[in-house]
Amino acid sequence: MTDTTLTTAMPAAALRQRLPPEALRRRQFFALGWTYLVIIGVATVMLGTFLVAFVASLKVDPLERPFRLAFDQVNPLAWVAAADLGRQGAGDPWWGGFAPGGRIVFSATYTAAPGTEIVPPDASVPRRRPGSGVAAALTKYYAIDYALLTETGSADGEMSVTDPATGASEIWPTRTFTYEIAFDPAKAEGGPWIERTPLDLSAPTGQQLVASTLNPTRFERRGRVASWDNITPGALGLVFNNYRRVITETADLQTGNSLFAGWMWNSLLIAVGRVAMTLVVASLAGYALARLKFHGAALIFGLVLFSMTIPAQVTFISNYLIFRDLGLLNTPWAVITVLVVGSHVLLMKQFFETFPKEIEEAAMVDGASRLGILTRIVLPNAMPAVIVNAIMAFQAAWNDFFWPLVLITSPPSALTVQVGLLSLRRSYGGAQGDWGLVLAGAFVSIIPVLVLFILFQRYIVSNQVSEGVK
Amino acid sequence: MNQRQRDHVVGYLFVLPFLISLGTFFLYAAVRTLIFSFTDYNLFNTPAFIGLSNYVAMLRDSMFTLALSNTLAFSLIVTVSQTILALLLAVMVNGVIKARGFWRTVFYLPSIMSSAAMTLIFLWLFQRQGLMTELVQFVVNARWYIAAFLAIFLAIQLALVFNARRRYDGVSLADPVFATVALGGAIVATYLLRLGALLPVYDEQFLISWLNTQARVLFLPQTLWSVALMNVFTTVPTLMLLFLAGLQSIPVALYEAAELDGAGRVRQFLYVTVPSLTPVTFAVVTLGIIGTLQMFDQVAILGDAAPLQSRITLAFYIYANAFPEGAASRIGMSSAAAILLGVLTLIIVYLQRALGISDKVDR
Repeated sequence: MTDTTLTTAMPAAALRQRLPPEALRRRQFFALGWTYLVIIGVATVMLGTFLVAFVASLKVDPLERPFRLAFDQVNPLAWVAAADLGRQGAGDPWWGGFAPGGRIVFSATYTAAPGTEIVPPDASVPRRRPGSGVAAALTKYYAIDYALLTETGSADGEMSVTDPATGASEIWPTRTFTYEIAFDPAKAEGGPWIERTPLDLSAPTGQQLVASTLNPTRFERRGRVASWDNITPGALGLVFNNYRRVITETADLQTGNSLFAGWMWNSLLIAVGRVAMTLVVASLAGYALARLKFHGAALIFGLVLFSMTIPAQVTFISNYLIFRDLGLLNTPWAVITVLVVGSHVLLMKQFFETFPKEIEEAAMVDGASRLGILTRIVLPNAMPAVIVNAIMAFQAAWNDFFWPLVLITSPPSALTVQVGLLSLRRSYGGAQGDWGLVLAGAFVSIIPVLVLFILFQRYIVSNQVSEGVK
Repeated sequence: MNQRQRDHVVGYLFVLPFLISLGTFFLYAAVRTLIFSFTDYNLFNTPAFIGLSNYVAMLRDSMFTLALSNTLAFSLIVTVSQTILALLLAVMVNGVIKARGFWRTVFYLPSIMSSAAMTLIFLWLFQRQGLMTELVQFVVNARWYIAAFLAIFLAIQLALVFNARRRYDGVSLADPVFATVALGGAIVATYLLRLGALLPVYDEQFLISWLNTQARVLFLPQTLWSVALMNVFTTVPTLMLLFLAGLQSIPVALYEAAELDGAGRVRQFLYVTVPSLTPVTFAVVTLGIIGTLQMFDQVAILGDAAPLQSRITLAFYIYANAFPEGAASRIGMSSAAAILLGVLTLIIVYLQRALGISDKVDR
């Protein structure tokens, strides 16, 4: 208050003063708010991209425009309906299917302008091949060969329709048709489990489908044909249809085994092999460089740094030839042994240097050998370093693309998952491609590393951060 | 043998497995590549010495010059922009979030993803009719409203700041209280404009070829700009964490001293923050250079989704010469390019190291 009275009495040039303390505090408070806004913005853009991609990976067509955020796969009501249908089809509310004893009740409601008669749609179980490519060739059983489709009744009703142009409300008649799709009892004995039960309902123009037990997968022929890829998906089968497809539809033509599952297994094998090798080699070398004084240690250290700068493209031809001459191309062994574990050696060396010497010296007095000290005393106390090394080695091996690409080229079943993703992209990732399958593959491939990250994140992150600062 | 001699022997034994691996898969391999670069070899014949012919042929190959310029431009753009962005972000959020804890986990997340999975997600995002196109379409169609929003925001902010400056000293242009008022005002005003439909909203539909195009923007193919965007997007959060850790180890006394000397926020940033962060910056830039010079995975996964000349990098040129589709291997050419890439990486990294160190000494 006194400030303001002063200012009015003084000439303009001398009026300017510092902001009062409470205004400064308010500014600090608001600045904090803006900072949080920035952080949340960055995090949203970053994580949001993955989240949106994940949501899209559940869609029938991830490239649909406009991009919807509400669709059956994220709608709990549809989950319930799908679980119910799965239970009716094969007694499995989770993954559904169509099996002997299955009896599915399915209803569809149509409407038409007043005065138009609503006729029963033409219902059929089509012989639809699942997906594209190899899976279609490997499908043995089709629902059409086992399904008996009957119309069990219809009920009249009415609904209120709003004219979009005038906004006026009108009462339109509706008619609900109920169908029963049963597994043919004559073929029930030893009958197969069938993953999908497709359904087509074809109605005349002017007659619109307004509701059904499960929303149709798509409309064909200008909306006259409502088409379901699978009316017995089960809850998980509905939501994670693309994820099931990426496993089942990438089948090996000869053996019928899932290629994608095989790729995951190969990657796992290679990653575990690399972790084991890295731990042994890096512990020994790291310990030697940290503790044992021998000629050439500095030279080796320099070489390690040098090797970390040189790209793999400089060494891959020779390494390819080595494994070709050994007959180890296209085997996991090539990828397991090829990498030089320089960064891991450095990491172990750094850790061992901080380990108290006195403990080792005491053990040495007791007559323990260096190897005994390393394996019985140092390593058991070096668990954080070992864990960090193991996880980083696993992550690097799992995510590695270049070496598996060079060293494992055939047969398709021998690839690792990262190179498998490339072949998935080639087969399905075109402009009109099956992007649901591609995205599902990408997300499945992340799972192992993601799980490790969540379990051990406090080790990984702090190490990465401190590594970078050094 | 005494303990020292024993340690000597044991030391050699312990490093032996590592030395074998380093010797075979790195040293021997690098030397062989150097030798191959002077020979004519297709993986099946006996290598024949042909002198410098491979290097000459390589320098005459228009694909090689393209790959080289693409690689250098890509490396420059990605390294510079990711370093600056990460630094600015770190400075912005410093004091609010720690280099540890929840946010650290969140910002670290993108860096655990494989480049293959990441590239597939971005490929989907950058499809002609994809989400990126839809985003651009939205911005273009709503351009008048976005412009109006920004104009109103700026007008309110400037009016408030200059009004306050008549009476008070030290009111920043980016005053947070006024900015909040301006934001609220801009939101309300834009909403009212939209309610009254006072500005046009367009309904243009378009497709954008982000990747499958031969277009060049400045000195880099458009396809590689898209890849650069993806690289920056995935690395910035993690690099920001590195800078944050560095920032939080700068003694507060330095800033207090600078403030006593009358340095403002900008000068404090330039003369205290930036020099103190030299070691971190050095690490970030080195990581960036090494990573971008050998950029390969993204290009290979793009594959036929983009024309070769729009996506080729040195690393891919090397691979494509060694394993060309439907042709005999040109190991000589591949090796020559590989040697060049190796030397290039070393030169740039050591050049940067030399500059970085002298920079530190100057201050």
